[in-house]
Parts: sequence; C-alpha cells; structure tokens
Amino acid sequence: MKVTLDIWRQDGPDAEGYFETHVMEDVEPELSLLEMLDQLNDEIVEAGGEPIVFESDCREGVCGCCGFLVNGKPHGPLANTPACRQHLRSFPEVTHFTIEPFRSAAFPVIRDLAIDRAALDELVEAAGHVNVMTGTAPDADTVPQDHLTAEQAMDYAICIGCGACVAACPNGAAMLFAGAKLAHLAKMPQGKQERSRRARKMVSMLDENFGPCSLYGECAVSCPAGISLTAIATVNKERWRSVLRGRHSRET
Amino acid sequence: MSVIEKARGQGDTVVRPKLNQHPSNVTLKLIMAATGTIFVLFVFVHMVGNLKLFLGAEDYNAYAAFLRTFLFPFLPYEGLLWVMRLALGVSLILHVWAGLTIHARGRKARGKFSRKGMKKKAWFAKYMVVEGVLLFVFIIVHLLDLTIGRGVASSEFEEATYEMVGNQMVVHAHAYENLVASFSRPWMAAFYTLLMVVVALHIGQGGWNAINDFGGTGPRLRKIWLIAFLLIALIIMVCNGALPMLVLFGVIS
Amino acid sequence: MTNIIKNVIGAVADKLDVTTPAAAPAAPPAAASGDHGSGRPFVRPNDAPRNRDILGPAQKAAGYEVGPELDANVPEGDPLTAWARRQDEYKLVNPANRRKMKVIVVGTGLSGSGAAATLGQLGYDVDCFSFHDSPRRAHSVAAQGGINSARARKIDGDSLKRFVKDTVKGGDYRGREADAVRLGIESVKVIDHMYAIGAPFAREYGGQLATRSFGGVQVSRTYYTRGETGQQLEVACYQALEEQIDAGTVKMHNRMEMLDLVVADGRAQGIITRDLLTGEIRGWTAHVVVLCTGGYGSVYHWSTLAKGSNATATWRAHRHGAYFASPCFLQFHPTALPVSQHWQSKTTLMSESLRNDGRIWVPKKAGDDRPANEIPEDERDYYLERKYPSFGNLTPRDVASRNARTQIESGHGVGPLHNSVYLDFKDAINRLGKATIKERYGNLFDMYLDCTGEDPYEVPMRIAPGAHFAMGGLWVDFDQMSNIPGLFVGGEASNNYHGANRLGANSLLSASVDGWFTLPLSVPNYLAGFVGKPVLSTEAPEVRESIAYVEERINKLTNNNGTRRPEWFHRRLGDILYEGCGVSRDEAGLVKALGEIRELREEFWRDVKVVGSDNRLNQELEKAGRVADFLELAEVMVLDALDRRESSGAHFRTEYATPEGEAKRNDDDWCAVSAWETRPDGTHVRHSEPLNFSLIDLQVRDYR
Repeated sequence: MKVTLDIWRQDGPDAEGYFETHVMEDVEPELSLLEMLDQLNDEIVEAGGEPIVFESDCREGVCGCCGFLVNGKPHGPLANTPACRQHLRSFPEVTHFTIEPFRSAAFPVIRDLAIDRAALDELVEAAGHVNVMTGTAPDADTVPQDHLTAEQAMDYAICIGCGACVAACPNGAAMLFAGAKLAHLAKMPQGKQERSRRARKMVSMLDENFGPCSLYGECAVSCPAGISLTAIATVNKERWRSVLRGRHSRET
Repeated sequence: MSVIEKARGQGDTVVRPKLNQHPSNVTLKLIMAATGTIFVLFVFVHMVGNLKLFLGAEDYNAYAAFLRTFLFPFLPYEGLLWVMRLALGVSLILHVWAGLTIHARGRKARGKFSRKGMKKKAWFAKYMVVEGVLLFVFIIVHLLDLTIGRGVASSEFEEATYEMVGNQMVVHAHAYENLVASFSRPWMAAFYTLLMVVVALHIGQGGWNAINDFGGTGPRLRKIWLIAFLLIALIIMVCNGALPMLVLFGVIS
Repeated sequence: MTNIIKNVIGAVADKLDVTTPAAAPAAPPAAASGDHGSGRPFVRPNDAPRNRDILGPAQKAAGYEVGPELDANVPEGDPLTAWARRQDEYKLVNPANRRKMKVIVVGTGLSGSGAAATLGQLGYDVDCFSFHDSPRRAHSVAAQGGINSARARKIDGDSLKRFVKDTVKGGDYRGREADAVRLGIESVKVIDHMYAIGAPFAREYGGQLATRSFGGVQVSRTYYTRGETGQQLEVACYQALEEQIDAGTVKMHNRMEMLDLVVADGRAQGIITRDLLTGEIRGWTAHVVVLCTGGYGSVYHWSTLAKGSNATATWRAHRHGAYFASPCFLQFHPTALPVSQHWQSKTTLMSESLRNDGRIWVPKKAGDDRPANEIPEDERDYYLERKYPSFGNLTPRDVASRNARTQIESGHGVGPLHNSVYLDFKDAINRLGKATIKERYGNLFDMYLDCTGEDPYEVPMRIAPGAHFAMGGLWVDFDQMSNIPGLFVGGEASNNYHGANRLGANSLLSASVDGWFTLPLSVPNYLAGFVGKPVLSTEAPEVRESIAYVEERINKLTNNNGTRRPEWFHRRLGDILYEGCGVSRDEAGLVKALGEIRELREEFWRDVKVVGSDNRLNQELEKAGRVADFLELAEVMVLDALDRRESSGAHFRTEYATPEGEAKRNDDDWCAVSAWETRPDGTHVRHSEPLNFSLIDLQVRDYR
C-alpha cells in the first residue's frame, strides 16, 4: 500500500522542529508502525539522509520505550495498543500519517521523535517503592492476599511506563501513571505500611513536574496497558487519606 | 568519581523546566469539587423553590417572604439569604480561582503543542471552562435581573419590602411579578433557558469530576454518583429551563 | 567418571593449594599475558590430554588452541551445603568502611538492579549504568511465564533436591551442580522478597501463592503474575533501585553505554562509557565491576530479544581477558512467531504454556498449501505426539525446536514462507469450550491476533523456533566472579546455572538470585581485601588506553564511508547463524559459517556506513558498535559449536545422534564447560572446566 508520512524532524533539543513529508510507495500492510519507520529509515539512508530518531526496544508492547503521536493520538489510531503492536492492516483507511513526538512540557524532545521521560522516573524515585531491606521479607505464604486484591493490584501494576497518558492529556498531567503506582502499592500488604508517606511524596512530585487533571479521560483511552480511570481517583483518595489519618506532621 | 572528559560536543542533553505548583493541583481540584457540590445542591433546592411558580403568585411570593423571615427573630430580615449569599459568594470565588488556575497550569504543563484528535467524549471536559465563563455571566445577569433589579432588570422590577406588625414581620414580596415581567421579554427567556442547558452540561461533567476529586474509587459508588449527578443535571435543565418558556408563552402569567 | 574428575580436582587442589575466595583478593594472581587478567589456570597433573583436547582436522583448520583447565572454586564436599559453608567463609566489610568502597554495576535488569539496590542498602558507593532512558526498560521486563521456586509447599513431591535434579538434568549435565543448589536454596527468599517489594503474585482464593507447571518438570513450582511475570519482577526491582537512588546510595546513569572495561594490575577496576546524548567518552573507576548485561541471543538478528539487546559489555570484558563460556549453548524457543516479512522486528515469543492445550502438527504431504482447516485429520502429522508419546506436545524446548526445524527443512513447513508449524487449539476449544481457553490464554491470543492478523480461535497458530536465551556467557566461578579478579557477572550474562539448556521459568530465578542474594555477599568478600586502598585514578594509563581505544573505534566507524548500514550486516549475520549454527549443526555447516562470518566481519569494517556524528544521539553508531562485537562473538560461537563434538541440550550436532535421531551426549569427553579466550591478536584458546555431579546421576534424557 502507498502511505504518506508527515514526520516531525527536530535536530536537537533547542532546534526548531518541522514536518518532513515522505511518500512510501510500497509498504506491506503487515508492518507495524515502527517497522514502517524502519523501512523508511532504510530508504532515507539510501538516499543520503539521516535516519529518523525514534526509540523502541522490546517491540512486543511491554518495555514502554516506544511511542509517538500518530495523527494526534498517542501510539496510533488503535486505542489501548502500543505503537509496536499497531499494524497497518488494522486501519487500512488511514494512509496519511502525521507522526510527531509525545507532546508535553514534561517530555522535552531530544531529537526527532525521541523524548526525555525522566520525569516519570522521578515520580517512582520519590514515592513509587516499598521500603524493605533485602533478605528481611516475611514468608510470602504467611502474608496472604486475597485473590481479588492480587488481581486488582496487578491491574494497576501492569503499567509499562511509556508516558502515553501524559501525551494524551491536554493538561500534561500524569495522574494515571501516578495513580496506577499508588493503587498498585496500596493493595500490597507490605506496600500498605507507608501509604500516607508515599501519597504525599507522589503528589508533591506530581506538582513539580506535571499539570492538573481535568478528567478528559483521554489517558485511559491511550493507555497500552488499559489502566482504568479509577487510578486518577486513587491519587486524590490516597492524598486525602494521608491527611485524614493525621500522620502528616510526624512523618518525614 | 570520573573524569577524563572528551571535549563536549553540541550534545542532545535536554533541560526540563520544573513547574513547582503551589497549592497542589490535588488541593485545587478538591476545592472545585467541594464548592461545585455546594452549588449543585443550592441550584437543586433553588429549582424546587422555583416550582412553586405553578402554585400561583400568592404561594410563590409567600415562599419568597418565608426565605426572608426564616428563623425570625433569631435571624434578622433576609438573614438566611445573607448567610447563603456569603457562602455562595466565597464558593464562587474559590471555584473560579481554582478553575482558572487549573486551566492556566494545564496549558503550561502541556507546552506549546495542544492536543488534537481527542474523542468526542472529551469535549465535555474541554468546554468546562467556557461553560464556567458563561455561567459566571449568567449569575451576574440573574442577580441584576431578579435580586438587585438594575441594569438588565425589567422596568417593572420592584424590590421586596417589610413592615413590623406588632411582633410579626410582614413581607411584601414581588418575586412572582418580577419574574413574569422579566421572562416576558423573549430574549431574556431564551437566555435563561439556554443557560440551563449549559448548567446541565457543567453539572454532569462536574459531578464526574467531583467523585474523582473526592477520591471515590469503588466502582458502585462511582456509578451511582455519576447517575445521580446526570439525573440532577437533567431535572434542573428540564424544570428550570421550562419555566421561562412557560412564562413567555403565557402558560404562567 | 565423576570419581575420576573428583580425584583429579582433589589431587590438584592438594598440590597447588587452590586459592580460596577469601584469600583471592589479598593476593590476586599475576597477569598471565599482556594487559589481560589471568584466570586461575589449572595445571593437569599429567600431560595426557583428554579426547576433547585432541583436535580433529576441521578444528585445527579453524585455528584455535586448547588451554589449561579452569577451577570454578566450588567448595569441596557436599554440594547441598556448599553455599552455606561458603557464606560462612565470606569476609565482611565494616559498615563505616563501606561508603569508601566503590562499586560499578552495569545493567538494570533483575540482577543488575538487585545487586545495585542491595549493595547500596548495605552502604557501598554504587554507580549503576544503563543504556536505556530508564532502568525499568531492561529486557527482563519481557519474560512471560513465571519464576521457579523450590518452596515445595504442595504435596506434589517437590523438594530442593528435585529442583536441582530438574535444573541439572534439564541442562543436560553441562551446568554446575553446586550452583544449581544455590539457585534452589535462594529461590525461596526470592519469592518472599519480590512479593514484599511489590510483585503481585497470583493468589489462590484462600490467599496463598498460586503456582503453575512448566515444561521439563513434573511438579508445580512456577510462581507467576499472569503472563507478565518478568514485567512485574522488573518493575519491583526498578522500584527498589529507585528507592536507593532517592536515598542517595546509588547513582544512576541512564543513557550511558559501557564500551570498554578497565583492567589494571590484573583486576577489573573500571569501565568506559559513552553518553548516548552527548557522545562524551568517559572513564569510571571503582574497586569492583559487576556486569549484569544480559544474553547475546540477538546475535541471530531475528530473536525473541529486544532491539537494543546486545553483547557489547560482556564482549568488551572478554576482549580484556574474561573467558566466554559455552557460547554455542543458545536456546531456541519452539513457540516463537515465524518470520513473515523482511521488516519484521522480531520473532515474538508466545508463552510455552500454550503447549499445555495446543497440538503441534504439519501436513503429512510436503508442500501442502491448503489452508489449515481444509486439511483433513488423517493428512495431519502430530509429530511430537507420534514421536514422544509420553511427553507429547510438552517435550522440553530443545526437543520441540529441533523437531519443528526438521519438519520445516523437510518441506512440511506451513505458512506463506513454509517456515512454521501449526499449534492447533481446535481440540482444546471443542473439549473445554472457547471461554476456558480464553481465560487461560486470552492475552496471548490477542497478542497473536495483533501480530499476525489471524484469529487463533478460528485458525491454528503458526509457530517456529526462534533464538531466545543464552545459557552461555562470561565464565564465572562459584562466587559469580569471572577469571578477571574484581569482575563479577550476574544473570544471563554469566554461564553457570543452566548448562546446555535452560528450563522454563529458571531465567528470572537465576537473575534474581544472582542480583539479590549472591552478588551482595560475594562482592563484599572481594572488597574486604581492598579496604583502605584508593580507587584507581581516572587519569591512570589503563583508563586512558581504554578511552583511546574506544575513541579510535568510534572514529573508524563514523569515518568509514562505506555503503551499507550496520543493520544490513546484522541481518546477514543472522542468516549465516540460523543456517550454519542454528537449531541443529554439523561440521560442514559450521566450517562454512565460520568462513562466512570472518568474511562478513572484514566486509563490515570495509563497507559499513555510519550516518551522523559521534557527539550526539546517534542510533546508527550505537548499532554499528554492537554489530561489530556480534561479528566477533559469532565467530567464537561457531568455534565452540565446532569444537564441542557431542550433542547436548540446545547444541545438537547431527553427527552425534542416536539412530532415532535423538541427541547423543558424550560424558566421557565433554562433561565440561568450554571457556573461550580471545587473545589481543584475535586468536582463540579454549579452556575447559570439568564438571562433576555427586547428587544427580548422569542419565540419558529420554522424553519418549
């Protein structure tokens, strides 16, 4: 099939970006969006140009490396699917693609489609962990967890950290990402112990890096891991819970 | 550790601006949810009061008088109204301030490339700010029209008065007449009715926001809350929206 | 046989007073040659070579030599207690001195992040490096099925010894027994710890941990979080690492690729990195270097690995003298997706668990192009069920892969390129209903539909063997230390647990055990010998030399003005390897592949074209460096396959087979790990580490 691509080129973090148009005459419908860019890069280098910089790694939808906006939508036309698993045959009606990096002030462009997502790491660094010294954990069979809670924790833990939720948000918020982490850890018996502390740190880091939530709901539509919008309520719940539990002043 | 450094080239190192937003977005959203819920409850009660219009001028004006003499002599004339005006005024200021702050922060956090290609459902959230501005205009118009009686008010507007008969306070309210006079002007009636649609949209989306801002995570709670707010929005739109039209077309006069 | 080996080791140990690990750091062995670290060469008491050391004509022509044997430093005596005894021997570092001890950890998968986080917690000064933008992207994240643990809670006959037996036997007796014991012992703690730091393991309704079965074992000891166990463990480890970063005990360096090792005084004392954003080449020095950089399966180009997975860190260490063990032991996963078009990124893995309910078949008639559902039952060959009636579709991975390859090569392959076999769920759907199948494999079926556009509920899946897990890796002793003192290796990058074939769900385990429970004990033991000693200066000549080497190589790549992208060479290398050193190998094919690889390497340096400059983000340059190293690694892989004149596990030499076509081991000559040395001039020496087994009898694996 023949496709037309308008691809964002930006020669470095401070450079002005622009759209570069490429027409690919013969693309297999079997190709994923990333494979289409692989082929295009081959053609570009063949013609003496510099290949488009884009990040990817596992190419099976679990590492969270890949991602760009396709016609405005994070990852591509399909909802809840990472770019590496969006194959052209799934949307034969789309033959014109506008591809640009994930847009958010928190994700500065490095080059072309590659962005810096360290702001997400900062959230996890600030609060997304459980303080257990190696070797001191109790027997996991003596700390039971009911089936449903384990499954619910998994529903949130499954986030792949791609940042699509932030790019989907007209407000540049990371509530879905942060909420998924808080919900996941709050449901784990060991993670519960530092719930309040975690919530406060998470929210203050959110305020440092990301915008507010206006509940557009776009994040949940884009999320390749299918995290539900309830994650957003979780951020608020966990934060207010930490106030109501009255431990605010004594905890560090 | 380190360091033998190669002369640095241009490099592709990025600098990310810190937003450092205070007070927290979570706090702002809670403020919006709380004040918004106060408004919704007020508007709903207000609507119930409005329905007394169907009972005729006497009952309606009696209701207006009741509001002014409520708990007299413990409260002075219009005591209840002033308490409510104060509460609503503070809520309004907080709601508008938080809303505009969130909007501005959102634009800044997104950066210069606004989101395109959103699904239609997201429009409800997208137009909340526009709706908010319209509602603010409506509140001013409504106060001028039927409370203060200046500017856009009808020429027949007459303020409520009271006199003391012994220990009894007698109120001469003209609420019914003021209202009929105002809604008999087609453009004003249309304005009120149209704005009720905006109110409904704002309440529907606002309710969904509120349950999330309050931190309601239970699936059943979220569902019931959403349905309740959609119902409230619908009832307000139909009941309040119908009144100006009924007046305009002479059903109520 | 085992007695002979034991006696030999005993005799030699007596004679040489083999250095204990505790003594090793204080008196590092002198460098063997040049700037390379030494191994602990093991001089044979009499010079009579074993049969494996007598090279045939093809081996001689390939141009490598046989070197002295290696000692893996396994505690003498009962392997079941070896690890406990070794822990008691380990030296400690006073908490006040720990912050002065510098540790470099490269890689942030389960082992890298585990080692960095734990050493950080303990108070060491840790620098951790990853070429990714975030530690969470490490490829441990892609493991699906689960993690084994010898908790043995169920009354299904599981025990530590059973675990060891399964692991050793599954590895076709080419792994180290005492190490497998450690794997089993620590596996209990791994589950507890991973759960505590956030991995939501599947639970029974009563709240207890759930388990499932995996190929090659008859008990249920695999713990899992749906089909994303690797992701959950990786995220948990990443969180623990981030906690230490937050606490300031670990400094994380993202987007930094290790391009060389620094060896000084015969010890590993630092690394050279390239900042992938600025191109800055920088030397980092420390008291100890820990490599947890994963396997080299992506040398085959089309594999189940990630695009970025590479062997550069381990290979650069190898070029500084670290031996590379058993490179030819590379597992082909039988249920990967076939290649269907030129631009396909990878042969995506479909979980082994599918073989519980799927039936594998090919048409009886070669070249039968009818759609699967139009081929009548009696014209289908369920070849695994036919050949292995007792294990059927659940034979171990090496057997399943080999048989699939045989069917494809004999013209029975299906699909447009005739390069796959069917995995059919029709019978299971008829028997259990679509709902049950959906519940069990729903996410895998969705993934298959995504990848191929075919609905596995309606038509059979098409699968083919794909390069997957590297059992080989940098040679390490019982303490996970390579033959270069101060260079520790963990996870898939090392070689010790899995022998010639890895059991399903043992890879997450070995990575976790190394990172969380082995390295944090064995690294301090080494460090104890250096308390009070300063770290090597970054201005030291060894650092400058390595930096100069890296810079020269980058200059060569960027200024080569060739005509072909690095990707082209990678593809070509993959083709050569699949053809000559794939699921099954023979001498002629290996000799041919060896020649082709050497030619391709020359062509690479003559004709590679690297677009862009070196002082900024340049993915072409990154790729070029990795392919250059793959081209050297591939040669050693093929040499190893050529050298190992037996069939064992994943290494199947068609010359060494039973009349029924099954793998034929040669325990008399080849019950040993081959560890390869590449000299600075590029010539190769094969060392070997004899293996002995005292818990498990050597048996012929028979799955019929």
